[in-house]
Amino acid sequence: MTLRKLFLATISAATVMMASPSFAATELQVQRFFGACDADFGKNTDVSKAVGECGIITSLINKFAADNPDIKVNVTTVEWPGYDQLTAQFASGDAPDIVTIHESALSDYQSKGLLLPLDDLLKTVGVTPDQFTDAAKEGATKDGKIYGLPIDNWTMLYHINMDLFKKAGLVNADGTPILPKSPEEVLAQAEQFKQKTGKPYFVQNLANETALFTRNLYTYLFQQNSDFFADPKKVKFNTPEAKKVVEMYKAIYDKDYTTKNLDYAGAINAFLAGEGGVQLNGTWVVGDYNAQSEKPGTALNKGGYAVYPYPQLFSGAKAQYADGHTWAVSKKDRSPEQTAAIGKFLKFFADNDFEWSRTGHLPAYKAVIESPKFKALPHRDTISAIATLGKPLPSAVQRQFAIQDIVGEEMSAAISGQKPVDKALADMESRVNELLANL
Amino acid sequence: MASHNAEIRGRSFGDRVLFGLVILLALAMAGPVLYVIALSLKDNKELMVDPHSVFHMPYTIKNYIDTIGTSNVFSWVLNSFIVAGGLTVLTLILSSLAGYGFARLNFPGRDVLFVIVLLGLAVPEQAVLIARHQIFSWLGLHNTYPGLILPGLSSAFGVFLMTQYFRAIPKELDEAALLDNASRFRVFWKVLLPLTVPAQATLGIFTFLGAWNDYFWPLISATKKEMFTLTVGIASTQQNFAQSQGIGFLMAQAVFAGAPILIIYLFFQKYIVTAVSGAAVR
Amino acid sequence: MADAANGNARRAKSVDIYAPQWRNFLFVAPYLFIFVAFLVFPLFWGIWLSFHKADTFSSGPFIGFGNYARLFRDGIFLQSIWNTFYFVFLTVPALALIGLFLALCLNRQTRSAAVLRTLFFSSSVLSVTIVTLIWRIVYIPDMGLLSMIYGFFGAKAPAFLSDPDIAMIGIAIATVWWCIGLPMMLFLSALQQIPQDIYEAAALDNANRWQTLRSITLPSIKRTFVLVVIIQIVFQFQLFGQALLMTKGGPNNLTRPIVLYIYNTAFQRWDLGMGAAASEILFLLILVAAMAQFLLTRRKADA
Repeated sequence: MTLRKLFLATISAATVMMASPSFAATELQVQRFFGACDADFGKNTDVSKAVGECGIITSLINKFAADNPDIKVNVTTVEWPGYDQLTAQFASGDAPDIVTIHESALSDYQSKGLLLPLDDLLKTVGVTPDQFTDAAKEGATKDGKIYGLPIDNWTMLYHINMDLFKKAGLVNADGTPILPKSPEEVLAQAEQFKQKTGKPYFVQNLANETALFTRNLYTYLFQQNSDFFADPKKVKFNTPEAKKVVEMYKAIYDKDYTTKNLDYAGAINAFLAGEGGVQLNGTWVVGDYNAQSEKPGTALNKGGYAVYPYPQLFSGAKAQYADGHTWAVSKKDRSPEQTAAIGKFLKFFADNDFEWSRTGHLPAYKAVIESPKFKALPHRDTISAIATLGKPLPSAVQRQFAIQDIVGEEMSAAISGQKPVDKALADMESRVNELLANL
Repeated sequence: MASHNAEIRGRSFGDRVLFGLVILLALAMAGPVLYVIALSLKDNKELMVDPHSVFHMPYTIKNYIDTIGTSNVFSWVLNSFIVAGGLTVLTLILSSLAGYGFARLNFPGRDVLFVIVLLGLAVPEQAVLIARHQIFSWLGLHNTYPGLILPGLSSAFGVFLMTQYFRAIPKELDEAALLDNASRFRVFWKVLLPLTVPAQATLGIFTFLGAWNDYFWPLISATKKEMFTLTVGIASTQQNFAQSQGIGFLMAQAVFAGAPILIIYLFFQKYIVTAVSGAAVR
Repeated sequence: MADAANGNARRAKSVDIYAPQWRNFLFVAPYLFIFVAFLVFPLFWGIWLSFHKADTFSSGPFIGFGNYARLFRDGIFLQSIWNTFYFVFLTVPALALIGLFLALCLNRQTRSAAVLRTLFFSSSVLSVTIVTLIWRIVYIPDMGLLSMIYGFFGAKAPAFLSDPDIAMIGIAIATVWWCIGLPMMLFLSALQQIPQDIYEAAALDNANRWQTLRSITLPSIKRTFVLVVIIQIVFQFQLFGQALLMTKGGPNNLTRPIVLYIYNTAFQRWDLGMGAAASEILFLLILVAAMAQFLLTRRKADA
């Protein structure tokens, strides 16, 4: 190509570029977990048709994008909980604009000055902290400011296959399931269940897992009034209370009252196929399980599906471990259009919290949680207590997800018999303290 | 390939046993892949209800259609091609130039520098990863193609290979050209480089496959989904099966992911095998 | 005539073409720039980091061998070193021996041998994350291919990825499936280097198959055997993808290799200093392995 031709080509290219519309769409980089389900919900904008966390959040974002053609939403789905990636992104200066962060992980990023305080931005779109539920407000506030728009609070639940419970004779006269009131009763009822149905009482995901163990431990430590994080920098796990909890779960494992070797997906499939009585899972599957139970021919449809908070097994505080999800915003230099777009996104989610709560999560807004619409959702009556039962770790505790991995690893080792319980608790304590001491 | 061992003659019982063993191993090799392909041809919902349904009809190509419509597999494959291809081309160029320089030319400090480069062979990727990650953050190179290509370019393997190869070429060829007043570069370009094609093939194939298969570095550097290479992309689909689109769909993605490299392999088998064997003749 | 031509040549090239010239440096300069910027500098920077308390967002004070001390006090790190050695022990002999076996059996001109050779090498071109996807599906309890095969015989498949006793073996099996191609190819090419005459002489002496193998074939490929073993040791020492994706290092840290520990420490616990220290230790271990190779082949060459 001659020099002249090249010159002309460059000029025309430049002209074309300059002739494009003077406003370009504002682009938002959104990052979230909750799974990928593009095959089913990739283009769906009718949120009421969506079921489950993945379906509902995909549809919500699609609807937001459809309602706001001048905002281009670029969504990245990451594996739960996505913090490895997020940290790497912050470290390389490449963080997304809006990202899902658990309330328990907010302070890790906020304390490094990576997140934008949202009080002012939210005020401009009409969202104020007094609209949040107390739990949501507390979880999203760090150092007196709001660092994430709360969208829910969640906790763990007893998901029950009523058909098997009936077979096991664990149902009251009024049709409600009989739940244990002490560790001894857990073992007794599990034994009865095994005798009468031949299946394990619990369906647990014990493989490739850490979170479940940790949440179980925290819940039952709360219930024994064990103040294990009295000092947020030094944890006490090597206690008789912790030992009681671990030994209970170990007995459940040893006596085959639980499924073994299932990972998270496997446990869900097993429960839906009727392989056990109680699945220990969270608020986020209530919607899915309920939908399954309405399908004829499924195991949950046969005798029904019920869901309850964790039973109170000890005489201490009435509590169980809870956390919540928020949309956090990275601190960056932004144009006013971009900031406004972020404000719109947050307002959209604040307004649509009812749809999100159809998953089973507890809404983060007083208006929603008190609305008849929410209360009328299936099964919310049996789990309504979690609004007051749910309790997170003290907010001054850092690196809660790293701690969760350590606790989960050690507890799993103790329960499966790899390590003696005392050694596992001692190692748990020393490893967590070593982590916290070297932050 | 002159290779007739005594083992060929006779079909003894021992022969049959060995043959049986090889067939067994072959089944073990092919089994998982066939299983994956079969899974990809089944409806997700059917698989959820009865996993054994993978062994019988009906089969469907719905998962493939869904993949074409919604999956990111193609962008992942494209990114991997750009990175691996770019790295291969640049490695061949840089290593050939440097190999010629170290093998044939003299400049101050040549021998010391060559020893230092050789020492670089001993450094595993993990020893420099963390520092590289920090450095690339400062340079703003994350989530860019150069960011994915540059680390591999610093490998000493190519220079080592090309230097050895150039050294093995008789000096007379150089001298003949130099007597005809050729410049150093011309000697390199016209005379010696064409003779190094086998080494280039070996280096090219190893470099391409190495880059294609790289997981750790893209995992921490290409964090934006547009930049995902194939390894990172496929890994991202694996994590939580319950929260994903179903096993059939996943397998269809895996087939799309594995097909390009397998097709290339089947077509270029001969060259790949020669190149790999060439490495052994050292 | 020749004299005149030579005379011309000598006048044109009055300079020694082999004298050092800065201009020649240009050939190696591009590579050296990349080499120094992206290998040498990070190497020393990494060592520097390992002596400091550093996290992802800031560099802290100099703490000497503090990170290293913490590493050796960390039971998980020590476990990861043990795991890595165990994994190498599981995979390398299997790869070398099965590779040799296949090479011996498939070293013939038949079409079926060619097809089988292609089959055995094809898995090596797949990337590690596809391999883990395939094998995770195979290993799924009650639903995967393995449990279906066992079910066919009326047995229950071992839960490879969640049973602490066999989890590493499960990963090793998947790895051998993945890597068998290269050893087989290297052995094949070595076998093809053995001259025909030796075999014919042995046949004349009425040597049986086993004797031929032991006295002729094996000694001839000794160098390749060592090469295969060393290559595989160095490669399998760097186990990462399979452990991260198939078991996440569990259960109970029994399948956590050193590289996964480095990843966890540097990119999950944000402890860059300690991660750098762990990677320096890995470097030392691999260096020792490489040195061992160098000395071994040296000795063989001298012998």
